[in-house]
Amino acid sequence: MSSLRLRGGRVIDPTNGSSADVRDVGVRDGRIVALAPQEPVDEEVDASGCVVMAGGIDMHTHIGGGKVNLSRLLLPEMQRNGANPYALPDNLLELASCNGCTPGTLATGYRYVEMGYTAAFEPAMMPSNARHTHMEMGDIPVLDHGAYVMLGNDELFLQMLAEKQDFERIRDYMAWTIRASKAMGVKVVNPAGISAFKFNQRKLDVDENHVHWQVTPRQVVHTLARALRELGVPHPLHIHGSNLGVAGNIQSTLDTIDALEGLPAHLTHVQFHAYGTEGAKKFSSAALQLAEAVNANPNISIDVGQIMFGQTVTASGDSMRQHAQSGLASPRKWVGADIECDAGCGVVPFRYREQSYVNALQWAIGLEIFLLVKDPWRVALTTDHPNGGPFTSYPHLIRLLMDKSFRNEQLAQIHPDVAANSALGSITRELSLHEIAIMTRAGPARLLGLTDRGHLGVGAAADIAVYRENADREAMFSTPEHVYKDGTLVARAGRVMAVPTGGTHFVEPEYDRGIETYLRKHMASHGSVNFDSAAISHDELCSCCNGGRLLPAACFETTP
Amino acid sequence: MTETSVIPRAGATRWTCPFCLLLCDTSTVQVDASGALTLSGTGCACASRALARFSAEPSTASPQVDGKDCTLDEAVAAAAKLLAASRQPLLGGLGTDVSGARALYRLACKTGAISDAAEGTALMATLRASQDRGAFFTTLAEVRTRADVIVCVGGTPVEQAPNFFERCGVGEALVAKRHVAVIGGSAADDAVLAGLATRPGVTVESIPLQGDLFATVATLSALVSGRAVREAPAALKALATRLQQARYAVFVGETRKLPAQGALIVESMNRTVGTLNMSTRAAAMWLGGGNGAGTVNQVFGWMSGLPLRSRAGPLGLEHEPMCFDAKRLLSDQAVDSLLWVSSFDPDVAPPETALPTIVLGHPDLASARASVFIPVSTPGIGSSGHLFRADGSVVLPLYAVYEDTLPTLASVVDRILEKV
Repeated sequence: MSSLRLRGGRVIDPTNGSSADVRDVGVRDGRIVALAPQEPVDEEVDASGCVVMAGGIDMHTHIGGGKVNLSRLLLPEMQRNGANPYALPDNLLELASCNGCTPGTLATGYRYVEMGYTAAFEPAMMPSNARHTHMEMGDIPVLDHGAYVMLGNDELFLQMLAEKQDFERIRDYMAWTIRASKAMGVKVVNPAGISAFKFNQRKLDVDENHVHWQVTPRQVVHTLARALRELGVPHPLHIHGSNLGVAGNIQSTLDTIDALEGLPAHLTHVQFHAYGTEGAKKFSSAALQLAEAVNANPNISIDVGQIMFGQTVTASGDSMRQHAQSGLASPRKWVGADIECDAGCGVVPFRYREQSYVNALQWAIGLEIFLLVKDPWRVALTTDHPNGGPFTSYPHLIRLLMDKSFRNEQLAQIHPDVAANSALGSITRELSLHEIAIMTRAGPARLLGLTDRGHLGVGAAADIAVYRENADREAMFSTPEHVYKDGTLVARAGRVMAVPTGGTHFVEPEYDRGIETYLRKHMASHGSVNFDSAAISHDELCSCCNGGRLLPAACFETTP
Repeated sequence: MTETSVIPRAGATRWTCPFCLLLCDTSTVQVDASGALTLSGTGCACASRALARFSAEPSTASPQVDGKDCTLDEAVAAAAKLLAASRQPLLGGLGTDVSGARALYRLACKTGAISDAAEGTALMATLRASQDRGAFFTTLAEVRTRADVIVCVGGTPVEQAPNFFERCGVGEALVAKRHVAVIGGSAADDAVLAGLATRPGVTVESIPLQGDLFATVATLSALVSGRAVREAPAALKALATRLQQARYAVFVGETRKLPAQGALIVESMNRTVGTLNMSTRAAAMWLGGGNGAGTVNQVFGWMSGLPLRSRAGPLGLEHEPMCFDAKRLLSDQAVDSLLWVSSFDPDVAPPETALPTIVLGHPDLASARASVFIPVSTPGIGSSGHLFRADGSVVLPLYAVYEDTLPTLASVVDRILEKV
């Protein structure tokens, strides 16, 4: 391996408290090191006039697995560049891969890396689809990756809860599932709602009973969050709440926070869960209420799920809500599924339009949330790719957050009622580079428990993005000058320079093996896969992921 | 059927059967003194037939160039030369697993080849119907746990998936009462139904076609959506009512059995599912993509962003579900070389063609007419691997039964790739 010095850049490293010092960053053998000023290095790069940050980490982006691939297979018309096919890459390091709103895995890696991102996490991996999900992520070049396994709609969990089985058994089952699927965390999607839809229930509020199991989303959320806490899984429960997209769903979101009773949790794509019922159209922003709740509850972190105007596809595990919204599909088709008594999925193509009142308001709500939540450490910058918009729109989003006059110009162009009445126009906050660095790398790393990523302290992995200073923040964040992955130059001024295989982050909580007898029996009597084939071993994970490194994250010590 | 218990595995052998659509994984394979492979556990005609084509001896199959035995290096060099000289190669057959598919995609990019599976037309029937109007599908565990009405469209799938009804739990206590209907089945399907009818809680019915399958499903679709249909047959009317009253109805079809323009049947059934889902619950399960085709479609889908019948051509990445039909390309002489992959089934041989042909596959394909033949390992027999199950969501590991000493497809393709 080799050594490297990035000389004289403005280093923004919130984890280590730096406030934009101009200094050198040293790298040796893929790690950040302290280099003496005159110490010889293999390569020295002039970073003056540049901002140096850790590589970006996207903690919620649908980049691989069943529903993502369904989107690709079913929407070939979106895998075109207007009337023409996507041109072949002019870079010999790249293989052909479409850049549509659900890009091929290869293009996903190339485009993320060109933007300075070095890790991305798939938030909705079904246990039954775990191998597929890991395989797709293994075919995303360069990026490290990981996934949150979906629980809380699997019939077994709901049955155990309904039968009032010992909490410890439910916790053991969760731990087994996390280990078997090689997950980085647990996500619950529309708690109990996906299952309820299989029993023909069309709506499920936080305190409403699942029609068959007679348990409530409140119980589901609390049980999952508590178990993860006790298992010491660093990333707390990742929650896609009840009633996504429904006017007035702010109540469900507040009820969900209440259900946690102070347990840590991450509320995802909260923009889709922050709607009121005020005004003539009975659809209004509840961003302020949401932000107040987040500000008041330090156990809660969020990512926003900002929408971006244009064509995209919404790919979600929430079959109940996707079915309900399938009439809005554009083009008019959608695909749904009930899957393996684990969960479900719904793929609904969608076009967000500036002149739609609802879409314009969604856009404003997302930005309001970013700007009204005070603690950037608890806010991750996402579009819930591709659901709110493709990840390639992040530089535009960053500009909207950092540049008030630009934001107001955009606001003036959308639906006039929103432009005139939205609170957004009166918000003067402009996020700093320091805050953007928190929301795009330092914060996500901390929320995931990645101690050696998302920062530039000595010993950290040398995942680094070097951006040329530019008052146009969109241009600045679109094409960093240099991007390093574990010390290797992987992109230079928007061009991929190397395509190493990324690693897989996962956690392995401990549990009482006694649960396996119960699971074996259950899978034989209700399932479709032999228990002996259900779990992914380390060797198999490695082969699924193209031989990438295994990056187990440590669980924290728990006090019984 | 009585309550299912865990089927014990003989010895330490774990096995996932790669030879049918369902990837059954509760049986094991025994190897006798002669090297013959036999199935133990749940019987299966498909698995037994396929296993008879293997012997647990180190392979003596040799690569060939122009019908003459040669070294692997020579065969790889000849294949690479042939592809390098080709202006428009076709990758056909595509009988492989995930790692083979990954390698084939790299080769397709390098050579600008068009890729289509052996049963590409059947694969496209469900894909195109979904691309046009969408779909709602379900998987085996869901069917087993909740389906109270199962409607097989155009016959039962037991020929390609012998244990289908067992895997769906028909006769198990999980769903106390199930109704299995077959629309347009054969006498053999009626015999299958008669067998199912003896299981506890199972009722069956065989519904003859009204005209052809297109007309029959159209009538059913109209009846389910409550439209008045003059002189609708009583059996279809009753089925429509049954579907509307079902808790969870599932339509099952085999894509291979669909007639020409079968996508219209798929679309009609998918629409019926959509109608039912307005008031109750229903889903479809289209079974196809066997012999690795479904797996390769998934892998190409994620790597490139497009399904099969695509190519990385001069204009860029193109998907042409009609034009890039292997059969059509060969008959139109729109391609000038063929690389045929068939690792699982030696009966899936390359189509008759005068074009330079490379065959990578089961050792018994040595007899196929080919410029270059390279025997490769069969995932799930001679090497490990991964396949997608036909219902589309579950990927299962394949385990080697014995070391066949043959190279994997991925290793052969990567070696060719180095030399093209």
